[in-house]
Amino acid sequence: MIYLDSAATTLQKPASVARASAWAINHLASPGRGGHRPAMDAADTAFACREEAASLFHVPQPEQVVFTFNATHGLNIAIHTLVKPGGRVVISGYEHNAVTRPLHAIPDVEIRVARSPLFDRPAALEAFRQALDEGADAAVCTHVSNVFGFILPVEEIAGLCREKGVPLIVDASQSAGCLPLDFEALGAAFAAMPGHKGLYGPQGTGLLLCGMDPEPLLAGGTGSESRLQSMPAFLPDRLEAGTHNVAGIAGLLEGLRFVRRRGVENIAAQESLLVRRLGEGLREIPGSQVFLARDPMDQSGVLSFQLSHWDCEALGEALGRSGFALRAGLHCAPLAHESAGTLEQGTVRAGLSVFNTHREVEQLIRTVGRLAERGENPA
Amino acid sequence: MLYYLIVCRSLTYAQRTAAALERAGITARVLRSPKSISGEGCSHSVKISQRFLPDALRILQRVGLPPKRIYITAGNGSYQEVAL
Repeated sequence: MIYLDSAATTLQKPASVARASAWAINHLASPGRGGHRPAMDAADTAFACREEAASLFHVPQPEQVVFTFNATHGLNIAIHTLVKPGGRVVISGYEHNAVTRPLHAIPDVEIRVARSPLFDRPAALEAFRQALDEGADAAVCTHVSNVFGFILPVEEIAGLCREKGVPLIVDASQSAGCLPLDFEALGAAFAAMPGHKGLYGPQGTGLLLCGMDPEPLLAGGTGSESRLQSMPAFLPDRLEAGTHNVAGIAGLLEGLRFVRRRGVENIAAQESLLVRRLGEGLREIPGSQVFLARDPMDQSGVLSFQLSHWDCEALGEALGRSGFALRAGLHCAPLAHESAGTLEQGTVRAGLSVFNTHREVEQLIRTVGRLAERGENPA
Repeated sequence: MLYYLIVCRSLTYAQRTAAALERAGITARVLRSPKSISGEGCSHSVKISQRFLPDALRILQRVGLPPKRIYITAGNGSYQEVAL
């Protein structure tokens, strides 16, 4: 099977990730919950993971790196900290349901969508400028669209937010480990990311980078200030109630180390080359519509496409039967599809990782070509 | 042997404190704070040898990790707070 669904989760990981997680299950206990060796070793692993992430994302202090279950968990913390009932928030036109659903769940929130055409970075920036002019309690911007790989001008949007004093939440779900991300330079309030995509950690891991004091989403034991019946005021304890996913964190640490060794710029360059070739190859297939940015700098290693006379889910199924793992449908991001005009049809999405090869890309192009010739559901 | 316990506000702070001291060549170990000095209950401390305290304080000041409280072991196994 050729795996091309890394925008959902990377399946091929460095071997050290599984080894570390398996070792942790048998050797590491709970950080902060005991002074014995297995607990202190677990604490060392968690601290090493925070330090590694802080170094990769330019976070001033390791305690600003909070462990979450996934990016959605981190986004919920960030949103509930900044957006209150009756508040006002600006979001990009490419946000995932992990952003829009928590916002819709807060009563009477005015959600202003900074709409812009696909792969048009200046338009995205201008849309934010106009929306922020009217004031907002917070802004949320995905760094990269999970459907189209569109790289939003998050640095410039962060600059606008700083200028206007609006706290920014960055959804780095598709960019963490795939594109450079300098949290300190952004000056964002929060950045949320999964551990299991471009950071090559296990599922059930995520990180929330905190640039301001957050409000906890969960309350419970932290192994600190146990006499108090309120959550500790300090990070990371304030946001880390309950037992950590230590096996996941141990794996994530190895994933982060892998990314550092490879170099984020090298990973970005490799994925960009693959996505260009894939997009150009698919474009030559009659009846295809491929969402490939004109400028390679505007697109990460994610690419959506459609074939005329094919339902996207049927095409995804057919590719699955041919030995490819791609995702079809709306990818939990109806807003992004609305922005690109693909809400009714959906798309098939290829999500590349550093483990994909040119040969795999060529095989996919040939297979899609054959399916295009055959047409949907032939008798 | 007499030693000092630097009480930290969190496990992560204790780990940062110990790492900063170790980088400067001072042996430092993170441990659970003894119940009698743990303040609001359950905290972590960094244990250092008595002779390293002045250097440790200088280093922690420099890296922006001021100690919350410091205790010294007494002969009878109890702890006495050190005025900073």
